[in-house]
Amino acid sequence: MWRAIVVLACGVGLSRTSRADDGAQLASTREETWGYRSTGDVMVDGGLVVGFPAALPTGLARGVGLGVTSGRSLAWGARAAWVTATESSLPWTVTHSDLRLRATGAVQAAAGRGVVALRLGLGGTLVHESRVRNQGMRAGLSGDALATSTFAMLPAADLDVVVALHVAGPWLLVTSGGPSIDVLDGALHGGWSAQLGLAWQP
Amino acid sequence: MIRAAIVLGLALVAACGDLAGLGGATPALATIQIETAGAFSAVEEPGADPPALRVALVWGAQWLTEPLCILPPEDASAAALIAAGCRDPFGFVPARVAASVPLVPDGTASLSLLALPAADVMVGAVTARVAYGSLVIYDDRDGDGTLTLGRAYQLAGREDGPPDEGGITTEDRVYAASFVSMTEADRRLAFREGGFDPATAFYPRSGCGDPPPGFSIVAAGGFTATEAIAAQLRGELPQEDPARCETASTDEPVVLTYRAPAELHELACEERRNDSSIRYREPLGDAPDLTNRTLACVGIPDFGTGAANGARQLAVSGRADDSCVGLTHYVLRGCSENPLCAVPDWDITATPPSWWPCPQDAR
Repeated sequence: MWRAIVVLACGVGLSRTSRADDGAQLASTREETWGYRSTGDVMVDGGLVVGFPAALPTGLARGVGLGVTSGRSLAWGARAAWVTATESSLPWTVTHSDLRLRATGAVQAAAGRGVVALRLGLGGTLVHESRVRNQGMRAGLSGDALATSTFAMLPAADLDVVVALHVAGPWLLVTSGGPSIDVLDGALHGGWSAQLGLAWQP
Repeated sequence: MIRAAIVLGLALVAACGDLAGLGGATPALATIQIETAGAFSAVEEPGADPPALRVALVWGAQWLTEPLCILPPEDASAAALIAAGCRDPFGFVPARVAASVPLVPDGTASLSLLALPAADVMVGAVTARVAYGSLVIYDDRDGDGTLTLGRAYQLAGREDGPPDEGGITTEDRVYAASFVSMTEADRRLAFREGGFDPATAFYPRSGCGDPPPGFSIVAAGGFTATEAIAAQLRGELPQEDPARCETASTDEPVVLTYRAPAELHELACEERRNDSSIRYREPLGDAPDLTNRTLACVGIPDFGTGAANGARQLAVSGRADDSCVGLTHYVLRGCSENPLCAVPDWDITATPPSWWPCPQDAR
């Protein structure tokens, strides 16, 4: 009887010791996996961009964007995004490809694993417009009567709220979005844009 | 690096084209120049207001006349009925008015087409189809800026099914048309897409060659009704005189000659049914208003099969002052789509209404 009790107590004790060891190993593994380091001032990010077309009255432009930021509480950088949208009216099918080039300045602060920033971008949007006359090919049109293409550079500015979350190592999940304006035919043309992507901060 | 940035900046600033977006001027798919010939004053029909002449493009409908209007009349009353209630079996039948512009005082106009003809006015498969249009000059008497198409009125019957649509009165007067009838010389706007089936019987111009792809102006000399019927009995299309055929681009002006509106009133009348089918009606107990109409008791056409077996109908024309001609058909026994149906929807042959003017069926 006593022998059985001693054997059972040893078994439980061994089991408890083994469980404590597993927990320590797991915590260590988690620390290695989800730990992050943030020693650099430079961050490079890129991702998918959606927004209002710079020079179309309607539609949703989609594309990709990337940027670089340098600094701590005050940061400077540059961004570029290429988005495209195609819309139609009765006579026209119009495709706009917008190349958004911005110099940026940001105020940012760390919050736990994250970084929150307010980013102002100034620059221009290079718009390539392609217009095709609907039914024109069926009617036998050619040349400029069928399709036209042109470029235009529009002064533009963006104001974005940026939220970056350290995920692991030098990698961050970054999302941003906010209003944008450009000058089209001498008038302000409002819009918005948003980005979701990854950043690398060594 | 700095030099490259400057060059890029200058290039971007220099890229200053005008963006049109979804707006801007819309180029025409085709533009047709119209000229006029003859004196309008010689054919002008007096109206309350000064004439407001406009030019319109009217796409043609694929239409087949009803048998009563194409078969030889069985007697004088039937001939009078056909004259009063049937349109020209070979005439141009409008389907839709596509564009309309004012005729300028010097008698010219430029008609810009901003859209292709819709699929419902094109005849053929998607790989080979064609649309034909007539260019008309009209007096826009109702002032709505387009040619209002009228439709014949029909008399009422004792309806079992949904009522037929009513008629439409048009006040507009047509004074010239490039395509009036296949039995006279015509000059029509064609739009061909894909191939062309030379066997198509849609306003045929056999012997003239195929219309070219896209928009074109094509002309034919016309054929007689006798030639057309004879060719049809042979299973062929009536032949045009090749010497009178023409094909031109839309850059060539189309000359329209003024004619009396009475000769062209059918250009402003659309048809309720395009497949030669007829809606037969059960006569009401009370007599319809037959004032100012032509009526005849005629046999139901069976094309010699004997299926009619002496069955007769009462056919009534519209009023003499209606803007569009048409017929109303009454039978004492039958169905709305087939007066010779085996199980009739109505049969009042034993008790015809008191006003019924026709002799009893032989059936």
